Amino acid sequence: MVGLSLGEQTFIKGGIDQDLRTDGRKRLTYRPIFVETGIIPQASGSARVKLGATDVIASVKAELGKPNPSYPDKGKVSIYVDCSPTAEPSFEGRGGEELSTELSSALERCLLGGKSGAGAGIDLSSLCIVRGKVCWDLYIDGLVVSSDGNVLDALGAAIKAALSDTAIPKVQVSANAPSDEQPEVDVSDEEFLQFDTSGVPVIVTLTKVGGHYIVDATTEEESQMSSAVSVSINRLGRICGLTKRGGAGLHPTVILDMISAAKHVSEQLMNKLDSEIAAAEACDEMES
Amino acid sequence: MAGKLGAAAATYSPSTGQRRKRPTIQTGSELARPDGRGLHQCRPAFLKTGAVNSASGSAYAEFGNTKVIVSVFGPRESKKAMMYSNAGRLNCNVSYTTFASPVRGQTPETKDLSSMLHKALEGAIILKSFPKTTVDVFALVLESGGSDLPVITSCASLALADAGIMLYDIVASVSVSCIGKNLLIDPVSEEEVHQDGALMITCMPSRNEVTQMTVTGEWSTTKINEAMQLCLDACSKLGKIMRSCLKEAASAPQD
Repeated sequence: MVGLSLGEQTFIKGGIDQDLRTDGRKRLTYRPIFVETGIIPQASGSARVKLGATDVIASVKAELGKPNPSYPDKGKVSIYVDCSPTAEPSFEGRGGEELSTELSSALERCLLGGKSGAGAGIDLSSLCIVRGKVCWDLYIDGLVVSSDGNVLDALGAAIKAALSDTAIPKVQVSANAPSDEQPEVDVSDEEFLQFDTSGVPVIVTLTKVGGHYIVDATTEEESQMSSAVSVSINRLGRICGLTKRGGAGLHPTVILDMISAAKHVSEQLMNKLDSEIAAAEACDEMES
Repeated sequence: MAGKLGAAAATYSPSTGQRRKRPTIQTGSELARPDGRGLHQCRPAFLKTGAVNSASGSAYAEFGNTKVIVSVFGPRESKKAMMYSNAGRLNCNVSYTTFASPVRGQTPETKDLSSMLHKALEGAIILKSFPKTTVDVFALVLESGGSDLPVITSCASLALADAGIMLYDIVASVSVSCIGKNLLIDPVSEEEVHQDGALMITCMPSRNEVTQMTVTGEWSTTKINEAMQLCLDACSKLGKIMRSCLKEAASAPQD
């Protein structure tokens, strides 16, 4: 928790009122975003995203598993976020647990879509290998290395970058296996399939401070918030998920207003992120 | 209690004893709901306060097959380990009975229901009115029949009001499922399994303020608009029912 004096609080709020925040940004401007991919060789895909002083790592691991009997033609994706005490002393022990579950469920809601799989950023049916028998389980792990506000957006961006870095091995299924047994699969260690990430949304969090809302709030600004709405938006401008944080209530029209502002901001963020990911991947290839 | 049940028969009629088959759901363009409701029609609600005697306040809610009991304890002294705080603390816990779901013990993703309930309620409670103390809200889902969280939230706010905890307003919650092109209000479990998207709103009807809102699945802005309006209308109606339930309890002679 940040302890701010009354003067500092007024300064932050006053700045936001005048569209000039303490670090010189406008209300709807993001901090410079920095992306690095392929940082964890053991993972199928990984990325690190820095957003000002907020620093997060996301890794994607693919493992062979069995599909859920209720959805036999779909793979499984699980998202888990860890808040390391290196980021903030209050995350020590069970302190980070609450934030961890909040972030993981918000990310699941924003990225995995509805129960039937509609609107999911990740196409779950592409993870199926043999219907009802074998599928890929994607384990997406996020780690908060350093936290200076807006962790959710950074994690969303990191997961998007990690997924575009993800290479899933090609799988050969032996054709002559009896249909009632678990089929034998041969995982190739040379041929990989790239993951299609064009549908993965970006998450934009709008934080309401006083009468205005801002994007990409720092910890100081977050300490002054009354409520925040996180919207995940895909390339088509469709809303894929929404969560609200913070205790104060919001008027319905304000929420709709925030959604349209988030839509506008998401376009810029998506383009910026895509070019950053492309640059990071090019850089990664040059090294290897 | 029997007399009360009889009085409320206008909004709630108990189902007949015969065991019904689990209805199947078609996902065509013309959608028929498993329980024969209209698309924008909520399930009949039965609400009652004072379900648990030992609690400071409690409420029982029954929306179709979803049956929930919530008890509120406190305000009691916060644990010693907790730091001094000017505002009171709210502690929420949601649990399912093992027989709540069709498959025993298989409860639907309960991990964040407690924190969702906490977020939905904290905006409505005047926490400053009980400094240094904690209020416990325990919700138990007796039977899960779809739209569990909205029912839990509405029932919990009724229990808080019954306990005499100061609230800005009563909290009503309604969810909408999107299946194909259709919006279905107050979905049952069978519909929730097939849904393409879901939107849940928790609001304070007379203040017209949204305390919690979640969206899953892919939505266009116009669709969100429509769904929000649908939810808010239903919330204000539910708020009225909750209010009349509280009034009824207050005017009933104490026995």
